[in-house]
Amino acid sequence: MSAQAFDAPVRAALAGLLLAMADDEFVLGFWDSEWTGIAPLLEEDVAFASLAQDEIGHAQALYQLLGDLEGGDPDELAFGRRPEEYRHARLLDHPRTDWAFSVARRFLYDTADAARLDALVASAHAPLAGVVAKMRREETYHLLHMHAWLERLATGGPEPRSRLVAAMERLWPDALCVLAGVEGDDLLVEAGVLAEPLAAVRRRWLAGLAPELERLGLPAPPDDPPDGCRGPDRSDDFRWLWEQFTMVRRSDPEAVW
Amino acid sequence: MPGQPMQVYEVFRREREGGPMQHAGNLLAPDPELATHYAREFYGRRQESVRLWIVPRAAIVDLDDPDLLQPPFDRSFKKPVGYSTEIKAKLAQARSRAGTEQVEP
Amino acid sequence: MSESRRVQDFNRHVAAGGKVEATDWMPEEYRRAVGRFVEMHANSELMGVLPEREWILRAPTLKRKLALSAKVQDEVGHAQLLYRVAEDLGKPREAMLADLLAGKTKFHNVFHYPTESWADVGIIAWLVDAAAIVAQQALRESSYAPYGRTMKKICWEESVHILHGRDVVLTMMNGTARQRALVKDALERWWGPLMQMHGPRTDPAKDRDLAWRIKNKDNETLRQEFLTVYVPRIREIGLQPPDPELRQDPDSGTWRYTEPDWKELYAVVTGHGPRSAERLEFRRLNYAETQWVRDTVLAAPLAA
Repeated sequence: MSAQAFDAPVRAALAGLLLAMADDEFVLGFWDSEWTGIAPLLEEDVAFASLAQDEIGHAQALYQLLGDLEGGDPDELAFGRRPEEYRHARLLDHPRTDWAFSVARRFLYDTADAARLDALVASAHAPLAGVVAKMRREETYHLLHMHAWLERLATGGPEPRSRLVAAMERLWPDALCVLAGVEGDDLLVEAGVLAEPLAAVRRRWLAGLAPELERLGLPAPPDDPPDGCRGPDRSDDFRWLWEQFTMVRRSDPEAVW
Repeated sequence: MPGQPMQVYEVFRREREGGPMQHAGNLLAPDPELATHYAREFYGRRQESVRLWIVPRAAIVDLDDPDLLQPPFDRSFKKPVGYSTEIKAKLAQARSRAGTEQVEP
Repeated sequence: MSESRRVQDFNRHVAAGGKVEATDWMPEEYRRAVGRFVEMHANSELMGVLPEREWILRAPTLKRKLALSAKVQDEVGHAQLLYRVAEDLGKPREAMLADLLAGKTKFHNVFHYPTESWADVGIIAWLVDAAAIVAQQALRESSYAPYGRTMKKICWEESVHILHGRDVVLTMMNGTARQRALVKDALERWWGPLMQMHGPRTDPAKDRDLAWRIKNKDNETLRQEFLTVYVPRIREIGLQPPDPELRQDPDSGTWRYTEPDWKELYAVVTGHGPRSAERLEFRRLNYAETQWVRDTVLAAPLAA
């Protein structure tokens, strides 16, 4: 179904969802690309860089969908807003910190995103269903890789374990924000864009994770997401990132790069 | 999972459907699972392969003995060597006997 | 067979274009020479990541971010491939990384300089990679076959980087006055290091790497090849290399140029370049910060 068939409130909710997803992928891709050249193992460096690139590719596809819906060019959408206008989940407000933190954050994000994509794969908005089908295939590798690292850190001895546990404790509240903070998801469910409300997706995600977390003795999530899941308050770390990624464009706003 | 020493894994790839597995290179990995992920990165991230084999170097049986692979006695009886001139001459003779000489174009 | 007779046979074998594999017998001197050569190349790929890395965050469009990120990822991959080749000659990777971080081994001059703008990113991807590929194409025929095979893969991957760099530069040259000024400034700063990159003229008769065909072309030949292809390409888009002496002899085709500053080259590759200390320190800190990860996945703390 083309978006013209949806009425205005549904289109607005859809735009909100697309922006949230695109910003999530975009910001994660940026933080993770910081590991390029300095990851713990050379081989892992190449692998992790691919994960970061995949996220940017997904962001590009999602900004394109948003541009098709509301007008606007993907680069303008990606680079042309003030920090307060970004709608990524609070999970992505944290910098890369250390390897355990990045692994924990990616693990939480990738598993939450997988649940979100499951709820979109049969979307009534056909272009979105198409992009989601491709994203899910790429995410297979992400999930495999992050499970591999989670296992190694959780069972690798006191040092990796304590770093991983500390990271997850810090990240859990903000991780819930990946499946929260989008207005009008009930309208999207009614219109067949989303299979179930985000709160239900969240429950399904957490239920899916519970056995592994228990087996590895890792922290459990809190019950509810915090306030301000998707801005407008943004962390100083994100503001720093924004300064970096908008620097060249701001230096010459008329220029094409 | 206990830590292990890094091992060298040799990677073989198939470039397209129906093609042979060919040696592509090697990499270091702490275990077979990560070796698979890394092989994908090095020999598959540009969608340049349809299949990969990832094999610990230690598992490869190597043969490079020239006595076995390049033995000295003439082995032309196993190859299509030398027949073309022989056959050409004998064919000319047989055609001449049968009256079926071919005019060279 | 006596050792010296074996060495003579070996020297004849490589001089005639014969190949050497990792498991073949080779003179200790050859093993050391190849090992050093490949190690420096690996170090250069690894250190080469740093000047460009900061611009991954600053890339001004999604397409450029993907392209630059893929390029830098390739450089890391090249470092991995080359350290593997060197390691199969007998020196463990951790020892090579330790020597690099301790300042005991070298990496190519160009990676000791700062990158100041997005134009630098384009100039490096276009011209520095082009100068490198001229050398790397010649290395595909190295007598040391594992190195030659690796160079084939690397050359293929580098050809994409050069296209990316040229596209960045052309976009800016066709863009605003400010963009053109940035490109001109970048070329002026990078020309000196580019001219030094292939190294001073050497006497082929005294170059063991040439005699053993570890490399097959001498430094001056490589520099001339680079100039022949790239000076016209630079000039045709309205840029001038900042060397008033640069001209091609119409009869011989040989390029004349202001003699590069070999003292600068020597100072830089021995660790006194503008960014040498800072980049090595950055690497040291990162390596130390991630040691716990290596200790986790590997059996024991790695021996030096």
